[in-house]
Amino acid sequence: MMEKLPVIEVDGVSITRSGSRVIDSASFKLHHGDFVGVVGPNGGGKTTLIKAILGLLPHDSGTIKLFGEPVERFKTWKRIAYVGQDSINFDQSFPLSVRELVSLGRINRENIGHRLSSEDWRRVKEILIFMGINDLAEKRIGQLSGGQKQRVFVAKAMVRDPDVLFLDEPVAGVDPETQERFYMKLSNLSSQKGTTIIDVSHDLSAVFCRMSRVICVNREVNVADIGDEIGFTKALKKVYGDHFHFVFHEHMCEGLFEDDRPD
Amino acid sequence: MTDPISLLGYRFFQYALLGGSLAALVCALVGLFVILRKESMIGDGVAHISFGGIAIGLFLGINPLLTALVVAILGVLAISYMRRHGLAQSDSAIAVMLAVGFSTGLIFISLSGGFNVDLFSFLFGSILTIGTSDLIIITGLSLVSLAVVGVFYKELLSVTFDEEASRLMGIPVGLLSTVLNVLVAVTIVLSIKVVGMILVAALLVIPGLTALQLDMSFRDTVISAILFGVISVVVGIFASALFNVATSGVIVFALVAFFLIIAVWRRFTRA
Repeated sequence: MMEKLPVIEVDGVSITRSGSRVIDSASFKLHHGDFVGVVGPNGGGKTTLIKAILGLLPHDSGTIKLFGEPVERFKTWKRIAYVGQDSINFDQSFPLSVRELVSLGRINRENIGHRLSSEDWRRVKEILIFMGINDLAEKRIGQLSGGQKQRVFVAKAMVRDPDVLFLDEPVAGVDPETQERFYMKLSNLSSQKGTTIIDVSHDLSAVFCRMSRVICVNREVNVADIGDEIGFTKALKKVYGDHFHFVFHEHMCEGLFEDDRPD
Repeated sequence: MTDPISLLGYRFFQYALLGGSLAALVCALVGLFVILRKESMIGDGVAHISFGGIAIGLFLGINPLLTALVVAILGVLAISYMRRHGLAQSDSAIAVMLAVGFSTGLIFISLSGGFNVDLFSFLFGSILTIGTSDLIIITGLSLVSLAVVGVFYKELLSVTFDEEASRLMGIPVGLLSTVLNVLVAVTIVLSIKVVGMILVAALLVIPGLTALQLDMSFRDTVISAILFGVISVVVGIFASALFNVATSGVIVFALVAFFLIIAVWRRFTRA
């Protein structure tokens, strides 16, 4: 069988910022439907790597391809959605309702200069319901709580119906229950729609229990399949140091998948 | 005192109401984007730059609004260029072009024999004396500006809210920022006859600031800003015709009054 075309290909990529090497010769491929956790210590280069893949930061060497196209020439951005780490740090007095913000996610190169269609508004409504924020639709985004803001920005990304969804710490600071529901929705998205999800996270058990692969970043970049316990531990040790132990126990993921079944 | 209703029968008054309202509408709309991009000073900068264009028009005997339009657009393009190529920060770039425009104006005014009534009408506004050609220019520019904002409404909103996210969605962020700056130039020029070069930035910024206090959605903020702007201009035009006071003065006074009333009301309703 022919190998599936990788959605993201990173080959020998090094990145230098302010004179120091942040990412050193990273190489990996991600495929359709991969649910990938990006982990590593603070300042290890996780956000830099994500931004470089998205073409928001330059890289010194190597190649980055999205859907087989070098990122510098990539045009079909509607296949990609991104929720940045600092997206919720917007001007809190900005006059924008939840519905308006989420609707902006439907903009792509093809509909520039056109009004959003009724199909666009239907998708906005569906996503608001899916993310459990439909009752906040008319509320101003500056008036929401931290967790609500994060859900709204994820909704703005998801309303694009992207093939790849990048999330940079989308649930940091959110209560465990909301986090749990959020990861459940992501699991569904990845398993039912085949969306590739790349999620920067500090929550190693969420990564272990929810995701299929892990990218460990601390200047050096190591990728492992979650199913492969030895490879997973090895990759984690490389970024967190040899003293690091991730304790697997047989019940750690119990309860997490129980409500996962599609409705 | 003149009967306010009978004023509506005069052509000069109809021209003033139509031209003034259109200018206020476009100013409030474009001004809201300018405020949210934290570039309010560009309004004042472009007004001073256009002074150079007005003086060139008076010197050459061409309608000064047309020469002001060309100079103002060149001015904002120069500001964008300086910013993009790291020659100057936004506020410094505005300061430089403001000085260039204003000094050009001074040179051409001295060449054409000093200050005169025509020049004063551009400095302080003279909406009650606009002729057919001015009205055609104001209407034409207003319709073009409204069409551009109407067509690129969601993209302008997206770029204003988050440039990086907009770039990732395939929106041509640089091009739209330039388009918005050109719109500011057009808006300022078409409003010069209404409140004059010196006060035109008020018409651009105050309606939006007033509306922003109401904590509404973007669409409702746009509608309120337009209402505050247009009502202030209409009030100014009537007051000036009825009581023989400076139109631009009353317009800006009405704009500030709305701002203060909303600020006080908000303070009490929130307390």
